[in-house]
Amino acid sequence: MKIFKGTPVSPGVAEGYVYLYQAFSCDVYETYVQSGEETTALSSYERAVRAADDELLHLIASFSAGNADKAKIFAAHREILADEEMDEEIRSAILSERQAADFAVNRVYTEFALLLSKVGDALIAARATDIRDVRNRLIRILHGETEKNLSTLQTPVVVVAHDLLPSDTATLDKKNVLAIVTEVGGTTSHSAILARSFGIPAVLGVPDVTEAFQDGIYAAVDAMSGEIYLEPDETVRRNIRKKRAAFLKDREDAARYLNDSGSLRDGTHIDIGLNIGSCAEVEPIRYCDFIGLFRTEFLYMQTDRLPDEEAQFSAYRDVLQQADGKPVTIRTLDVGGDKTLPGLSLPKEENPFLGCRALRLCLRNRDLFLTQLRAILRASVYGKLWVMFPMVGSLDDLRAAKEALAEAMRMLDQRGISYDKAVKTGVMIEIPSVALMAADVAAECDFASVGTNDLCQYLHAADRMNPDVKSYYQSFSPAMFRALRMIFDAFIAAGKPVSVCGELAGNPDAAPVLAGLGLRKFSMNAGSVAGVKRALRRFSLTEAQALAGQVCNLGTEHAVKELLAGLQSS
Amino acid sequence: MYAKTVVLKNASGLHARPASEFVACAKQFASKIYIKNLGDPEAVPANAKSIVRVLAAGIPVDTQIEISAEGEDETAAVDRLADLIETGLGED
Repeated sequence: MKIFKGTPVSPGVAEGYVYLYQAFSCDVYETYVQSGEETTALSSYERAVRAADDELLHLIASFSAGNADKAKIFAAHREILADEEMDEEIRSAILSERQAADFAVNRVYTEFALLLSKVGDALIAARATDIRDVRNRLIRILHGETEKNLSTLQTPVVVVAHDLLPSDTATLDKKNVLAIVTEVGGTTSHSAILARSFGIPAVLGVPDVTEAFQDGIYAAVDAMSGEIYLEPDETVRRNIRKKRAAFLKDREDAARYLNDSGSLRDGTHIDIGLNIGSCAEVEPIRYCDFIGLFRTEFLYMQTDRLPDEEAQFSAYRDVLQQADGKPVTIRTLDVGGDKTLPGLSLPKEENPFLGCRALRLCLRNRDLFLTQLRAILRASVYGKLWVMFPMVGSLDDLRAAKEALAEAMRMLDQRGISYDKAVKTGVMIEIPSVALMAADVAAECDFASVGTNDLCQYLHAADRMNPDVKSYYQSFSPAMFRALRMIFDAFIAAGKPVSVCGELAGNPDAAPVLAGLGLRKFSMNAGSVAGVKRALRRFSLTEAQALAGQVCNLGTEHAVKELLAGLQSS
Repeated sequence: MYAKTVVLKNASGLHARPASEFVACAKQFASKIYIKNLGDPEAVPANAKSIVRVLAAGIPVDTQIEISAEGEDETAAVDRLADLIETGLGED
């Protein structure tokens, strides 16, 4: 037995067999076969095509009726595999130019993918990704490797990886992932946020796991303590099972609060919001009061091309229609920093978190921004839509963003398309400069939401992706709570709604403190709702206010955490 | 060689499912079959049995297209494919 330790980012306990995930890298060299070997190369190509077709058929059959969309994608892959021209070109490259099968497949498929990616119609261009997928499948088979894919797991597994890209986690086969363990990442990385929203136990930032773990080895993951046991002994397994039972019991206990409205013990009402990244996550809205954060990045990560106005409009409209008339806060594109886009090449920056990200990037790429704003405005007639700008650092930013919105409105007016002319406009408060200007910002917008993850990193000058400065990234520091108090006070005084949509809002320990500071709108992942509702009910408004006052007067994060832990045990 | 000109009526052009229908139908014939976008002066005839070529032709709605075929069943193939396009390729 061996023990590894990392940062627990999504609570839970699990044990099972390891699935070592490495994104397939398509390493193909320009190789030719000896004269006389052409027919052997040809038959290995033919065998690979048959094997690929078998894999695809198997995949299609494995999807349930509810997964018709995924089945459709793989049916399209079969058509590509049977494409007459690509097939003919590969055959002729092998037979008359003596190219090796993998080289011929790579060359022809890559050429055709490029051809398709140049088509003006974005829907068609996006299919270039499918060609590349089929190409990778063929080359993998030709190289004698088995399939590694997180969207189509056959049995429940503990996923171990160096890192998971947002595109990996977005298509994750949730029901078959027992736990996630990665070498990089922390509490606020994308993998962590997604693991929490899916309720999958996860431990990130565990050094060297991909070298120590192999496929099929047994592992136990304690995502409460952050410990991972490789081939655990019987004593550990017994403890793990006990802990798992206790965790599930606590979650079940919290679940009894799920359908209650959010409130403090004395009845003070708290609006509970939902953070989502796609239409697939809207369902929990039935026990929430609003969508406090709809991240739009995922829409941009699914294809190599930027999504056009129509595609965005229909995605936003779907969410509005499913939201039951409850307000939906759409955050405009927030890329840069740790998030890159396949459809947009961004220059490499020395300090990406301090660079041209989010609103800054949108203001520089005006067409990109206007396309999204038009799509958002068009969706506004289908419900209550609020639009929110990320990374506002000054009144200049806010004014420029509002100007762009006004331009998008004029463009729609010219096309005679209707939209909600009174759509609420707000800012995400995550840069300390704008926190200091909160009163002025409140005067020029309709609402604000605090992104505590970025606020914490900028306030403490601690990169949230860098494990070496993890101890400096203190989301429970008195400085954080004092900054929050300043923001809440300014918006409350202006009579404008303010919420928190960062990780802090989903943390049960922080909940009474935030309520005591005046916060009445908490927005979080679906998995945190029950626990936060339960935590809020334990305090009356007077108690929460006293607690908040105490917390703000403390000197260190350690002291804050000690105080809050003491409340838990009493 | 036999050819016919028709107009594509599908609102979102010849993509995804309509393109699949078209290619699947073309594959039922023995003749060499081509589809050409007459709305694009630089377009070259695309192999109608290749899904990628047909998609890459990027044919939008209300475009004139020429379907041509050469081989033993050329007339039947062109008539059938022209008919398929005029009836909307299974889309409303």
